[in-house]
Amino acid sequence: MIWKIAFRNLTKNARRSVTTAMAIGIGGFAALLFGGFVTSIWFGVQTSMIQEQGNLQIYRQGYLEFGAANPDDYTIQGWDEVAALLASDPVLNQQLAVITPRIDLAGVAGNAQTGNSKTFIGSGVVPSQIDEMHKWDGWSIGQVSPASGLTDQVLDGVVIGIGMARMMGMCGPLNVADCQDRPVDEDALTEVETDFTSLVNDEAEITDLREGSVERPQLNLMAATSSGVPNIARVGIEAARPQAIRAIDNAYVMMHFEQARGLLYGDSQEATTLMLQVANPDQVDATKDRIQEVLDRAGLDLKVFHFTEVDPTFNRIFGMFTFMFIVVSIVLSIVIVFTIVNTVSMNVMERVKEIGTIRALGFRKGFVRALFLTESALIGLFGALIALSAAVVIANIVNSAGVQWTPPSNATPLTVQLMVLDNPLFAASVVGLLILISVVASVMPTFKAARLNIVESLQRA
Amino acid sequence: MNSISTQRSFQPDSQFQPVDLTKAGAPAVRFNNIKKTYTMDRVEVDALADVSGSIARQETTFITGPSGSGKSTLLNIMGLIDQPTSGELFILDEDVSRLSDKAAADFRSEHIGFIFQSFNLIPVLTVGENVEFPLLRRVKSASERREKAEQYLDSVGLADLIDRRPGEISGGQRQRVAIARALVTEPTLIIADEPTANLDSKTSLEIIALLDHMKSEFDTSVVICTHDTSLITAGSATINIIDGHTA
Repeated sequence: MIWKIAFRNLTKNARRSVTTAMAIGIGGFAALLFGGFVTSIWFGVQTSMIQEQGNLQIYRQGYLEFGAANPDDYTIQGWDEVAALLASDPVLNQQLAVITPRIDLAGVAGNAQTGNSKTFIGSGVVPSQIDEMHKWDGWSIGQVSPASGLTDQVLDGVVIGIGMARMMGMCGPLNVADCQDRPVDEDALTEVETDFTSLVNDEAEITDLREGSVERPQLNLMAATSSGVPNIARVGIEAARPQAIRAIDNAYVMMHFEQARGLLYGDSQEATTLMLQVANPDQVDATKDRIQEVLDRAGLDLKVFHFTEVDPTFNRIFGMFTFMFIVVSIVLSIVIVFTIVNTVSMNVMERVKEIGTIRALGFRKGFVRALFLTESALIGLFGALIALSAAVVIANIVNSAGVQWTPPSNATPLTVQLMVLDNPLFAASVVGLLILISVVASVMPTFKAARLNIVESLQRA
Repeated sequence: MNSISTQRSFQPDSQFQPVDLTKAGAPAVRFNNIKKTYTMDRVEVDALADVSGSIARQETTFITGPSGSGKSTLLNIMGLIDQPTSGELFILDEDVSRLSDKAAADFRSEHIGFIFQSFNLIPVLTVGENVEFPLLRRVKSASERREKAEQYLDSVGLADLIDRRPGEISGGQRQRVAIARALVTEPTLIIADEPTANLDSKTSLEIIALLDHMKSEFDTSVVICTHDTSLITAGSATINIIDGHTA
């Protein structure tokens, strides 16, 4: 009967109840949409990063702490044997979709045509395996990254950042839109020709690795081998692609793994890291443990990391949006609390005599509290249902509109997907929280109602 | 039809102990030297000063007196919705002068029925639900509550109005519903504070007659507070209060 009384009292003051439920609904609607966006970030940005780096990465012990100072001391030697070891494990074989090496390197890049040169940072990857990684969609959100632009067959092909193209004066030759070449410095050109370019041309090991590569704009890359000797390669630029961070965009060169290996290690099977993609994201932790177990059993001085341990960008992005979500939710909660307090206080004021009667009839204070708290819970529920319905409708509209945004970690935009019902736990939590806020907000006026003097309440007109 | 049972199903959980209703001969209510003092604007006002008396079992007792004499205060104390400043109150020989809030609520639920001047029916409930309402604490079965409500509404002649809302019936009918509500818990004592003040004289007489009849039918004691002495039925006991004293 307490639910009956609560429901009928809400319908009796329909306008007030609707206004309060709407206030709760609007607050919940905002929280659900923003939460849906944060959920979308969680899935979308993570998917992007896993497509680029894999879920897990294997490094030599100490690489993350000290490898930056001397990367050659922390390479994975015999990476191919490590990859074969992991692939031969019956458990990992089922869980790992891709195992691929990467070499991180840095050096100096120069364009003999324009006389421009600058430092570069780059990576050497296996194109076909990277392209396979770009297709990963473990959460089935339909997000696929574009192909790398490299092929396994073209060993001297590279993809550079747009900023790098600009610095090297290659926007024109590469037909890069919205990209202006750095002006040619004739004096520098002469100087470079006599120094850097001539050094390249004189380098005996430099060979053009692809037939007809002269048709592509070319870049000369110089890096120090693991023994400290300068090594130079002439590469052909396949494409220029924007990178997420300007500093990296200005210096980025992605090349074939074999090209990078030739530059740094010669014939030695060394790699900076092994990137691993786990097919099912729910199995990442178990897979990580299994990999470490396999590595330890083989006595290898290697350690496996989750990609967020290596690159904190995802945690920072997600943390930032989560913090914003919390702040927005707190502000919305405060608005809801004041609305509820006002509504319940008015209900109590109007029903003082009823409260006195209920108490006189032998009901304890707890019954009065329960009565008003039930009303608040019901109004919270109605508000939550309004919020959920509106959020689902608006999210569907936004999702079908194909709105795009570029997260801080990405070079390419993601399609906004407001995931309201895709995360049922989140949606249920918001609904539960709205009801809880409604109940908690009404505690004070409700307790006040229960404490009313019975005689004075009955005397109220 | 109904008699006061000697064994009640309701077991309160605090200070209140169920009254032994088999105590023969004890008055329903006994009050000794009841004093009630209010403080208004830092001035102490005695609403009741050393009032003593008793209410006989299964009788109708009228408390009369002019407006502001203290009759409602005495009634509120007897109904355990107010506490005396000093003095003793016994209901069926049990000292109930200083019950805690919970214990007083439990006692009221078990032993006291209220009838108010303005009927005080819960507007969002139907007539039947209003009568069922006091049973919520004691009768878990909804069908049993409904059955009892129908039974008591029938006894006040309103069985056909069971699904109406209070706003859809007349004042006299509302007071009859209030009487059914007061009786449905089969109380020892019914407290009626100016039950006819909002009714016309003909309906007032009907309501008093109904209460008098119910007292006999349901073996309960009825205390009616009124300033209208014309309502006093022949043979009824009367306590007259003037300026906080029994006259």
